[in-house]
Amino acid sequence: MFDYRSFAMRKLTALGPKYLPFVDVATAEVPLSRILRLSLFQVTVGMALVLLIGTLNRVMIVELDVPASLVAMMLALPLVFAPFRTLIGFRSDQHVSALGLRRVPYIWKGTMYQFGGFAIMPFSLLVLSGYAEAVDAPRWLGISSAALAFLLVGAGVHMVQTVGLALATDLVKEDDQPKVVGLMYAMLLLGMVVSALVFGALLQPYTPGRLIQVIQGAAVVTVALNLLALWKQEARDRERAQAMKTMRRQRFADAFAELMQAPGMKRLLFVIALGTFGFGMADVLLEPYGGQALGLSVASTTKLTALFASGTLLGFAYASWALDRAAQPGRISVLGTLLGIVGFAAIIASSLGAGVPAFLLGTALTGLGTGLFGHATLTATLRATQKDRVGLALGAWGAVQATAAGIGIALAGLVRDVIVGLDPGAGAGAGAGAAVETPYTIVFSIEILCLALACAVLLPVLKPRADETGQSQTGRALPDSRQTAVEVP
Amino acid sequence: MADSDKVWPTGLTLEEAEEVHSYLIDGTRVFGVIAAIAHVLVAVTTPWLG
Repeated sequence: MFDYRSFAMRKLTALGPKYLPFVDVATAEVPLSRILRLSLFQVTVGMALVLLIGTLNRVMIVELDVPASLVAMMLALPLVFAPFRTLIGFRSDQHVSALGLRRVPYIWKGTMYQFGGFAIMPFSLLVLSGYAEAVDAPRWLGISSAALAFLLVGAGVHMVQTVGLALATDLVKEDDQPKVVGLMYAMLLLGMVVSALVFGALLQPYTPGRLIQVIQGAAVVTVALNLLALWKQEARDRERAQAMKTMRRQRFADAFAELMQAPGMKRLLFVIALGTFGFGMADVLLEPYGGQALGLSVASTTKLTALFASGTLLGFAYASWALDRAAQPGRISVLGTLLGIVGFAAIIASSLGAGVPAFLLGTALTGLGTGLFGHATLTATLRATQKDRVGLALGAWGAVQATAAGIGIALAGLVRDVIVGLDPGAGAGAGAGAAVETPYTIVFSIEILCLALACAVLLPVLKPRADETGQSQTGRALPDSRQTAVEVP
Repeated sequence: MADSDKVWPTGLTLEEAEEVHSYLIDGTRVFGVIAAIAHVLVAVTTPWLG
């Protein structure tokens, strides 16, 4: 007699855990394919950034006729949440869960916020711009709903990125951290480049309907990629769940103070702020500068972005390779800032008679510097933290980094407006002559100054070459790590 | 590890099952609110409700 009931029960029991989003057993060795899958969350972050800073920035101003000041305010809103990264990371460090999960719930929550923001964004923008029936809609409705949409996306991006990086750090051994950091950065860049191309192509004949499709499509893609990224990443761990209940609870203020007490942490965050701000304006200003000061065509300025991105990727790759061979993060950061200084100098020189080749060289060098600096400073942050406070440290890193980058981009936009204000017919650049590159040159000089400052702050703490041990327990001081060292006068 | 309070067919303990469930509930609430807001905005933008 076949016992249906027990057969069905057995089948169900076998199925159950298989279809839940966590692994049953934590494995010591996490294969690269799994890390690669996890890094997909960075693609969604890149997509959100491009959509906000690039695509919507233009669409709101040009197609929807929203006042530029209002657009700038909306785009600045997500920045308000940047300091909260520290708190979010800390909360995930101390999360109590019966399943023993720490990171996945937060990544999921962040994904939901991203999705929610994108879901209401297109309609809120249409209401904001008074499209069709929304002409008689009260003004506050458009403004508040658009603000809510941007806030949701911003909060989601901060959450997903902070906690996602923390999860990636949890999964790998300390020796492999440089590789993972490089991978995460590369995926962010990939997400930005690919989505910029895709959004540009999809919005080519702009219609309001198309805008709705594209933004809500981005929402669906975000959820899909993030689900794929976090699926079966974190282990269900009853022992950890027990430990969570009896964990030492710390107040955020105390934990934060402890983090700041860590040797070199304040200096590191200060350097990250300076350097990120210094590099931050480059990619936004390069295109208009090439167009107006050097008279490059639109098609060739677009290739600039590709050149910059290639340089950045090369920087990530080299930093991963060098740091993996026990080079000091500090040295690589200094190398990045130096390359940036040379790059910006070449860019300034290009409008003073050195011409297009100098400009291209400068763009590539700046990209390379950006890659080296970003990678090395994040790796340094990871190495300076305790195992149970990874989320907090990454939160602090993200808060500083996002704020500095945001201010940089805002300043870049300001400079553009100043130029447009100076010369209503700007864009052709041919008749404008010498006046047109002046604001740009000032900004690039500020960037050089910031990078030089970052360099100066870092130099005193570089260890002499004699004890090139790579700080951690890697102990693989290979002779070729000597080649990565920057000559310190 | 207490075996007494496991619930079947998943084999999770009661606490764990409740946590999984809480994610589902949270998600439903958030998506519900988002959907409500989206519908209001669509109603304002288009002649959908006349």
